Amino acid sequence: MAAPVPIGLKAALLDAVRTKSGMVGTGMLGFLILLAILVPVFAPYDVIKAWGGTDAWQDNPKLAAPEWSEVFSGGKHLPRTIFLTPAGTPGGFLKFRTTENVSDGKGNWNNFTFLGLKKTFGFQADDFPSEMTVYLNTMFTQAGNLSKPPAISVIFQRPDNKNLTLLDDTPRLSTTDINRFPNTKSNAYAVSQPIKDTPSYKILDNLREWLIANNVTTRAEAYDPQFYVQPEVLLFAQLDRSMLSKSTAHVLKGDYSLRIELVGFENTDDANARGIVFGTVFGLAGTDDARHDLLVGLLWGAPVALAFGTAGALVVVLIQMILGAISGWYGGAVDELVQRAADFYLIIPTLPILILISLLYRPSIVAILFILVAFGIVGSTTKVVRSIVLQVKEEQFIEAARSYGAKKTRILFRYILPRVMPYTFALIALTVPAFIFLEASLSFLGLGDPVLPTWGHTLGLAYNNGALFYGFWWWIVFPVVGIIFATIAFALLGYAFDKVLNPRLREQ
Amino acid sequence: MAVLDIRNLIYWYRTRRGAVHAVDNISFKLEQGETIAVVGESGCGKTSTANAILRLLPKNVERYEGEIWFDGQDIMALGNEDFRKQVRWKGISMVLQGALNALNPTVRAGAQVAEPLIVHYDVDRDEAMEQAIAAMKRVGLPQDIARRYPHELSGGMKQRVVIAMALILKPKVVILDEPTSALDVMTQTNIINLLKEMKAAEGLSYIFITHDLGLASDLADHVAIMYAGEIDEIGPADHVFVHPKHPYTGRLLASVPRLRSEDAPEFIPGAPPDLTRPPPGCRFHLRCPVAFEKCGWVAEEFVDRLRLLQATTQGKEGFPRFSEVEARGTQMVVLRADSDSPETLAASFSEFVKSGRETNPFLKSVRSVDAKTKAVAVTLHEGAPPPLIGEEWRAACWLVQEATAHDTIPA
Repeated sequence: MAAPVPIGLKAALLDAVRTKSGMVGTGMLGFLILLAILVPVFAPYDVIKAWGGTDAWQDNPKLAAPEWSEVFSGGKHLPRTIFLTPAGTPGGFLKFRTTENVSDGKGNWNNFTFLGLKKTFGFQADDFPSEMTVYLNTMFTQAGNLSKPPAISVIFQRPDNKNLTLLDDTPRLSTTDINRFPNTKSNAYAVSQPIKDTPSYKILDNLREWLIANNVTTRAEAYDPQFYVQPEVLLFAQLDRSMLSKSTAHVLKGDYSLRIELVGFENTDDANARGIVFGTVFGLAGTDDARHDLLVGLLWGAPVALAFGTAGALVVVLIQMILGAISGWYGGAVDELVQRAADFYLIIPTLPILILISLLYRPSIVAILFILVAFGIVGSTTKVVRSIVLQVKEEQFIEAARSYGAKKTRILFRYILPRVMPYTFALIALTVPAFIFLEASLSFLGLGDPVLPTWGHTLGLAYNNGALFYGFWWWIVFPVVGIIFATIAFALLGYAFDKVLNPRLREQ
Repeated sequence: MAVLDIRNLIYWYRTRRGAVHAVDNISFKLEQGETIAVVGESGCGKTSTANAILRLLPKNVERYEGEIWFDGQDIMALGNEDFRKQVRWKGISMVLQGALNALNPTVRAGAQVAEPLIVHYDVDRDEAMEQAIAAMKRVGLPQDIARRYPHELSGGMKQRVVIAMALILKPKVVILDEPTSALDVMTQTNIINLLKEMKAAEGLSYIFITHDLGLASDLADHVAIMYAGEIDEIGPADHVFVHPKHPYTGRLLASVPRLRSEDAPEFIPGAPPDLTRPPPGCRFHLRCPVAFEKCGWVAEEFVDRLRLLQATTQGKEGFPRFSEVEARGTQMVVLRADSDSPETLAASFSEFVKSGRETNPFLKSVRSVDAKTKAVAVTLHEGAPPPLIGEEWRAACWLVQEATAHDTIPA
């Protein structure tokens, strides 16, 4: 005879967890739950709220691989992001400022401010940085045309002393900013890939002139429309013709400096600077094209997937179970109604309907959950549970309960549902992955919650940005691993339950 | 006054083949503090009677009629909800057939015993458990059994739990539906003794449903012998078991193996009739060794029997040589022969009936044999279902009526 089916929920749970697959599944699930508990502590929800914006992520390199992928780069030391912190912070820019008042001899005094900012940093990596940006915060007074804005120069010093001026600029205020005292102007100078018609676009011409002056190229060549200037390579490469292409250029290792000089025409003028030399590797999971730290998204994916899958599966399966039990137990018209409703719900194509709703309303993840529950109040579980109830209700102890005068509802909840519960538990465990998949599919299609960084959402972005084509493997692999991990955890648990509850599947 | 008086209880249920006459017009009384044993073969309607009394009906009920007077009230007239509240377990409780399966495997024994209390009196859990433990002590179960699940109990323990459960609301009548059928003999004895004790202590009345005549004789004051949905004989146990009036009772008693006697147990040939089409007349007449004219033979049965006989004794000396036999209506059978003339066949058939009526009781039903032009017409005696005759001790058999007339009891 087969081993008896365990009686009651607790016994079934314990038995299931003791099987091999149950132990592994529980372990994996435990890990996920631990993540779900710890993640909000270490990466609070504020981080996620900022996910849609850019401000929180602008200091991260774009599309950087995980730092540990350096192991596979053949012994190369890949550049990390170097922060050139503002003056006044430890290790920040060194600042020199002086004011001078000069008389023109006619009783007019001209007031000057001289300001210098300098930061030296070592660059020892074997690859070029991905980008470089300088942020300049200038404070000056400008009332109409009465005073002049300060003049700024940004100078880049190389270890081989072939220094160059990246740009000269006079920060101007837009008309809306005028008459605000004191005026501050924040300028971000993108050294690499500068945008046309911005002050930093001059960098390209300055670099051309620098190349010509150092006899690397001819003037004609430098100003050829085909000539492609890559500042982040040129600035950090050894000065010879090989530097013109990133593939042939050699990194010039050593101490670099960024120097900013300002001449202001008021005594009150002031400035501070900050710079970032972006690396090509970042963190444990890399970044995407919007500079998001993918690790945060991945970690947040766990509680979201867990909560979504479990809540959805739990609610849907329990509702379906109760309706199925009612259907099987009461029979007659109720049975007919529930079963035909289940047939109807089973043939409704839920995913297309969900896609339609998502297109029209962009629902949040909670709203999606509600929609799924609404479309899942009856379904396959109703049918499975009904068939079990039809069996159980013919058992003698039900007859006994009827004979001692128990009401039908009491028999249903005290006698029939406890018998069905263990099976339901297996069903819940097996339904959770379905919900995780569904959420991932919706997010992948760009129809999920627009704010939360779920695994599916990350995957969808990766797909839309051609991550597979460009080889941004980290952008795809980690969310996929997350989904598979969670799915396998629940599938193993469900399998364990199945084994315990269907003795025929049990091993000897 | 009888605590339970069942009058003309009818309980049929539908099947695809027709209505099953599971309980067909039965009546009996149960006095306070008495035990009535309902005895019969499997499928004769014992359990259906119990279910009918407690109104545990399936969906496919065809007929459910009669009167059940309990405590001076016709409980058949009660609405379902009133019946559930007033009668089930409070008035009449039941130890179900196969009690070993009657326990919910997911509920601890104590909680299970307490269930009726909670259902009927809305007692709070702790108090119900206390009473349940007390009830379990009364049936000889130690307190720790209350914490166990049914699968952790032995058969005898489970049976005691079920009995404790049946008695917890102190009902007046307890229906015991084969309470010991799956137990070994020692446990059976213990349970029967327990039932006796409980009866004496609490003044219970039992309806004891069993096929075990030994147990019935041990426990019962009265016995009702059921056959094919009807009561064949009912009376005081010492009378019925010692001098059975009905031939079926006699055969039933003869079929019990005896421990210290040379008598081999006898069996009753044939099988119980199909209850969707119960035989007319006395329902036992097809299997009855002493059946005679009045028992209710019909042409169809006669033809079946005759064909069977023809098949087994074909070509033997004295067997009438007919080639065709056919029923015409209920009381006439037509015989045809290939070689012999109708007259010859009629003569040989009459001779055969005369000589064979003692060995084949169905031949007694022949009233006349007439030779027609082409065939032989055999007319059968009209029969009718025998009424239950008698006062305290009644039997439903035409022989009993004749015997009463002649003031003797058939052996």
